[in-house]
Amino acid sequence: MSFRHSVTIIASPRPRVGKTLLARLLTDFHIHEGRAVAGFDLNAGEGSLAQFAPEHVTAADIGDIKGQMALFDRLIAADDITKVVDLGHERFEAFFTLAAQIGFAEEARNRGIAPAIMFMVTPDATSVEAFRKLRSRMPQAALIPVHNELLGAAQHRDKYAAAGSGAVQVRLPVLAPGLRRFIEQPPFSFSESQLANTRNMPLDVHIELQRWLRRAYLEFRELDLRILLADLQSSIRLES
Amino acid sequence: MARPAVILVGADKGGVGKTTVARTLLDYFGAHQTRTRAFDTESPRGTLKRFHPSVTEVVDVTSVPDQMKIFDTLGNAEAKVTVIDVRAGLLSSTLQALNDIGFIESAKKGQITFAVFHILGPSIASLDEIAETARFVGDASYFLVKNHINDTSFFEWDPATYNSFFKQIKGAEEINIPKLNEMACEQVEVAGVPYVSFVANKNAKGEPANYSFVLRGYVRHWLGNVWGEFDRVKLVDLVSPKIENNVRQVAG
Repeated sequence: MSFRHSVTIIASPRPRVGKTLLARLLTDFHIHEGRAVAGFDLNAGEGSLAQFAPEHVTAADIGDIKGQMALFDRLIAADDITKVVDLGHERFEAFFTLAAQIGFAEEARNRGIAPAIMFMVTPDATSVEAFRKLRSRMPQAALIPVHNELLGAAQHRDKYAAAGSGAVQVRLPVLAPGLRRFIEQPPFSFSESQLANTRNMPLDVHIELQRWLRRAYLEFRELDLRILLADLQSSIRLES
Repeated sequence: MARPAVILVGADKGGVGKTTVARTLLDYFGAHQTRTRAFDTESPRGTLKRFHPSVTEVVDVTSVPDQMKIFDTLGNAEAKVTVIDVRAGLLSSTLQALNDIGFIESAKKGQITFAVFHILGPSIASLDEIAETARFVGDASYFLVKNHINDTSFFEWDPATYNSFFKQIKGAEEINIPKLNEMACEQVEVAGVPYVSFVANKNAKGEPANYSFVLRGYVRHWLGNVWGEFDRVKLVDLVSPKIENNVRQVAG
């Protein structure tokens, strides 16, 4: 089996841990890599993924069955589009309960789609427990702990072991102070070619932003390669 | 040869979901590689036949030729299990007929395995029926099924009354059919296929279909719970004591 594309769910039962920033980066990373990408925004309120990348992102809701069909049926569609889900903390429980119940990860794998969960790690017990539960709830999905360096040194990292084929821990590098205000005005795309000009960025800010982006993209690329490698290894094992 | 098994699925009222239960039973035995045939007494036009056309025959259970068709073939039919979906209101009269032809007698002697699935309606009236039905079943495995699939009216019996009826039947067991999302339920009806085919995304001809993944997921989850209930009452052991149990695998 070889994966056609992936569905990445960015999750945490906590608010304000950098989920949407990661979702923005990941969406723009895929665009940067020349992939067709579709984002799904399960957040309420301001500063959501849909506002930053309106042309790539659909607002989704799983409160009723019509919304569930609109989201999940598209996530597993064989359309060769890479998908990113920005899962708001209010919907964390409902989303994974439903996904486990309808066998989302299984179905995705059967269709050659790599399911992955990027979990923002925080030291609180709720998150540790939610992470532990995810492993048994969706064993077919790669479970990737993401350490947001902005949240401080991760002394709790041993509580979050990567699980599933190719999963590694990913670091979200901290953005230099003062740069934040340049990237927080939606809509905004990191993959924009004239980024510095359209945003009136001073050159040093632009250079620093590019440096930060390269670090983040390097993490994503490594993750991509590991998942690909795990996939290749398992197919070699199957054939021999 | 293993002894034949007959499962009556009946209720004293229409619209309590007999056919739903009969369909889950056919799917269940199918998944356990147990050859099954079904009779639909919704003569002349059967609902069960629409979903399981290859194994279902529409009969009039009150007519002697059709009774012969069902019961005289028990020993030599290929299928070991016979599921009979009894039309609303015909449960007692069917049992009476079974008694008259000596079927209940042979079930008592252990020549035939006999089980009754009595689907309960939401009103107390249907509990009177239990008392009446209980006279006939003897040692049959008697299952009282609370069907919540389209839970519009909830069960509002007095627990004391219910329990006193429940105790009248020796060895009666309770089965709960959980609720299935309305839209999922409706789509399976529209598709007109067995639940397992819907879950496996196949149409009536066995070709790939295009049902919603979410709805298939809901049906899969629900069917798993229903089968869990059948596993709990050890239905497979009942109809074929020798066959290896736990071949549970939801299609798809």
